[in-house]
Amino acid sequence: MAVQEKGILNRLYFVAGCMFIFGIAVVFKLFSIQFIQGDKYREMADKRDIKEMVIPANRGNVYSSNGNLLATSIPKYDIRFDALASSNKNFEKHIKGLSDSLSVYFGKPSSYYTQKLRKERKNKSRYLLLARNIGYSQYLRFRSFPLLNLGAYKGGLIVEQSTKREYPLGVVAQRTIGYERKDEAGNVTRPGIDGAFGESYLKGKDGLRLKQKIGKGQWKPIVDYDHVEPVDGYDVYTTIDVNIQDIAHHALLEQLEYYEAEHGCVVVMDVKTGEIKAIANLGRTSTNTYYEKLNYAVGESHEPGSSFKLMALMVALEDKKIDTSTIVDTGRGKKHFYGRYITDSKTGGYGKISAARALEVSSNIGLATLIDDAYADNPQQFIDKLKSWHLNERLGVAIKGEGKPDIPQPGDKKWSRNALPSIAYGYNLRLTPLQTLAFYNAIANNGKMVKPRFIKEVKEHSKSIEKFDEMILVDQIASKETLDKIHEILKNTVERGTGSSLYSKYFSMAGKTGTTRVEYWKDGWEENPKYISSFTGYFPAENPKYSCIVVIHEPKVKKGFYGADVSGPVFKKVAQKIFTDTPIKEEIKSLNAETVQLTKDYNSYNDKARTYITIMPSVVGLPVMDAVALLENMGLKVVFNKTGRVKSQSISKGIKVKANQTIELEVS
Amino acid sequence: MNRATDRYYKFDWATIILFVALMLFGLFNIASASQGGEALDWTDFSKPYTKQLVFIVLSVVLIILLLSLESKFYERFSSIIYVISMLSLVGLFIFGKNVNGATSWYGIGGMTLQPSEFAKAATALAIAKYISDLNTDIKHLKHQFNLVLILVIPALLIVLQKDAGSALVYGSFAFVLYREGLPQNYLHSVFLLIIVAIISLKFGVIAAGLSAVLIIAAKFFMNGKKKNRNKIAKILGISLIYVGIAFAVNYTFNELLPPHQKDRITIWLSLEKDPEKLERMKKLEAYNLNESEKAISSGGFSGKGFLEGTRTTGNFVPEQHTDYIFSTVGEEWGFLGSTAVVIVFVLLMLRILFLAEKQKNSFSRIYGYAVASILFFHFLINIGMVMGLIPTIGIPLPLFSYGGSGLWGFTILVFIFIKLDSNRINEW
Repeated sequence: MAVQEKGILNRLYFVAGCMFIFGIAVVFKLFSIQFIQGDKYREMADKRDIKEMVIPANRGNVYSSNGNLLATSIPKYDIRFDALASSNKNFEKHIKGLSDSLSVYFGKPSSYYTQKLRKERKNKSRYLLLARNIGYSQYLRFRSFPLLNLGAYKGGLIVEQSTKREYPLGVVAQRTIGYERKDEAGNVTRPGIDGAFGESYLKGKDGLRLKQKIGKGQWKPIVDYDHVEPVDGYDVYTTIDVNIQDIAHHALLEQLEYYEAEHGCVVVMDVKTGEIKAIANLGRTSTNTYYEKLNYAVGESHEPGSSFKLMALMVALEDKKIDTSTIVDTGRGKKHFYGRYITDSKTGGYGKISAARALEVSSNIGLATLIDDAYADNPQQFIDKLKSWHLNERLGVAIKGEGKPDIPQPGDKKWSRNALPSIAYGYNLRLTPLQTLAFYNAIANNGKMVKPRFIKEVKEHSKSIEKFDEMILVDQIASKETLDKIHEILKNTVERGTGSSLYSKYFSMAGKTGTTRVEYWKDGWEENPKYISSFTGYFPAENPKYSCIVVIHEPKVKKGFYGADVSGPVFKKVAQKIFTDTPIKEEIKSLNAETVQLTKDYNSYNDKARTYITIMPSVVGLPVMDAVALLENMGLKVVFNKTGRVKSQSISKGIKVKANQTIELEVS
Repeated sequence: MNRATDRYYKFDWATIILFVALMLFGLFNIASASQGGEALDWTDFSKPYTKQLVFIVLSVVLIILLLSLESKFYERFSSIIYVISMLSLVGLFIFGKNVNGATSWYGIGGMTLQPSEFAKAATALAIAKYISDLNTDIKHLKHQFNLVLILVIPALLIVLQKDAGSALVYGSFAFVLYREGLPQNYLHSVFLLIIVAIISLKFGVIAAGLSAVLIIAAKFFMNGKKKNRNKIAKILGISLIYVGIAFAVNYTFNELLPPHQKDRITIWLSLEKDPEKLERMKKLEAYNLNESEKAISSGGFSGKGFLEGTRTTGNFVPEQHTDYIFSTVGEEWGFLGSTAVVIVFVLLMLRILFLAEKQKNSFSRIYGYAVASILFFHFLINIGMVMGLIPTIGIPLPLFSYGGSGLWGFTILVFIFIKLDSNRINEW
């Protein structure tokens, strides 16, 4: 029995020992977690729970040359509701008020919201979406709703702010103004001005702030760490003139739609400064609508066709190989050149004509003969002249993706005896529309070749950061004598040459048509011919102010394909509308009663343009009475609480506003 | 007998104080873990901590009721209590309410009751009653079978309600049976089984078989006084059984176990060789454990203070106010606080154990053992789980974890013993 007793006691000690030992083991493990491995766990915890959050900088605005907004970033808010955040007492007390407010805001009956809110609370929904993508003033409204006005913890209001890029002009000049697009792989494309000046000016500098996770989806800034304040991006003032851009866009669109063309572009350039006043690029979609698909004007180099005859003729004139009066025999419209035929568009041919006339009527044979006769022995001299005008180089514009021009070099593999006559009428080489335009602009600018540019100035709010002046590519492309001759020929081209259908006695233009065959080397071209129609020139013909190029690819041949028919009207429309906008217009108006129609067009256009002016200005810092006067003149209703200076405004600067909209001013 | 006449000195106040201390400290930790980023509001009865306060108040009522009953009542009615308790478990299959996949609750009005929490006390009473019966000989196979039956019925019913963790608690009665003279071989067999299972998973079947042979041989040679001609044959025979078990364990683990349980064991024993994959598994499958370890670790030596634990108040640790409540202690009260809790628990268990040993009435003694064992088992599994000492098994920390049924279950368990103990002077 004693043995039994002892055995039992041993068993007791065994059980007690187990408990005791486990207790010790627990304490050891505790020690290990808290001290020995503490660093490891803490590091693990920090990694997941402390994050360096990027505070995105406000991207700068893009303005037109006359200060209209082309692109701006505005804050947008998503409002969500944590149905579990509020205590029972608060929830019951305010549910009626909140439902009523939501009812007024959204228009559904109040009972609907009462029911929904109760249901969501029962379902423990902590992330109920109330409104998406609302503006600042609407956000303020939500914040004042019963229950939500208790804030995040007591009321359950969750606000998520994001920034949205807005384009007041919509699709107009979209490709040039630029935007950001992310593809599925996450690659960001930023075309246009946004891409060109984004990094250097618009972007600003993102701030950094360390934040600590304090709960599911909630992050609290850690104040005792250094953080980097974001620096807002600069505003970029482009050279784009909204009015001209609008004309160019719609004139091009109309023509593309009529001719069911593949794509096209219009560029308008200020002759003296090289500022691009308008640039429209429209491409056809599968549903036969057009949008700014690619920046064809900058990016697409192609055979220029007849518009290049001007350059060819100029080379010969400058080298004094010929004169404008030199007679060339174009024969009966078909001539044999080194084993192939060159034809003119006029059946029967032009016969014997002067060099000037050959350009006016755009005779392929005429130009090919003139150039071949003059340079066949020394093609290098001809090519060198072209190169001296930098026609073989990119212009180096800021917008990414500029097309590379291509001018063949004698001695190259591609060079043949036929190369020179081909170049003479615009084949066998490639230029982008912008490069062609830059050259024509130089002619308009009395020989000074300036680089096309897209921005005028970079500003930080009202402070100027950097101003851009004209950049000269070639001081004098040709002698005054040659230029005078060329001016005359281009003017005559419109008056009595291939562009005669465009002639208007009310205003003068000078330019050159172009009808280029595309993919002519393919079999069956004859059955299904394709063309590029272009018109390049400047206006007014005397003392030119703007140069302009219109290129339309693959118009429906049945409807027409000649440069004068397809692209010319766009050029004319742009010139005509701008014309009414210039001082010269006044003179003509007084002379001709018939310009009434023009003026009417212009006025209706101007009304349209004026809608762009209803953009919210910044009134922060103004005496409140001044701000009220300003804003009420814009048709806004102003709410403010006292007099003094404006501290903040409920509608941010740069946002489009409508009449009768209410704006709240906070006064300090 | 002055002490006998003085009612207040009859009860073991040390146990009561330890018990109440744990209960109240638990309440504070629940408050911290469930306040959800808001100020404490003891008037808001939708919050777990206010509910727990109500449970505690009700458990005081329960204590008074339990202590006022005649101590003989428990022994006399133990069989009936057991039967009623088993019926309440069976009733779950008809009236039970499904919460988180387990059908372990009765819904009464707005409240839920979990009968399995009360079944522990009932089973303890039944076991105590059966063993203490003079006709019961624990060395007898038939009686052993009956004892196992008493334990298996509730365990099986609970397993069928998909609450495997709670069923495991009935394993704690092994301590009771061991203390009451169950042959040592049973215990040794179970230990060997656990060792063989672990080795089989970690190092393969061959290693498990070899170690089984070695251990069994060592045991036979140590008890080598008796002559045993068939020693070798016996060793080989038993070893063979264990090799079979090793195979079975491996097969069960690889083929039969549900994936989440398999992952838990994989993580516990670090069975995955690729450390990166293991780390990923830990993040995914042992998310709770990982968060809990981080919370404990962040507490440091003295903790962050009441309601100051950022991981606790920020709801980082899922189920923190129930199964993972100990991580709150770790974060807010640090090494000091957690150690104190461990010490108080160990003291409570040892106190009950030694009080049980003092009982003259074998029913009271066995019941006391059962109480200590159940407490210990809960403590072991819960704390072990929260700190990664053992694989994840979801059972509450006694008196600490949020929940009325659990709290009342342990109140009944402990205070029946206190009542029995208070009467020991009268027992001869």
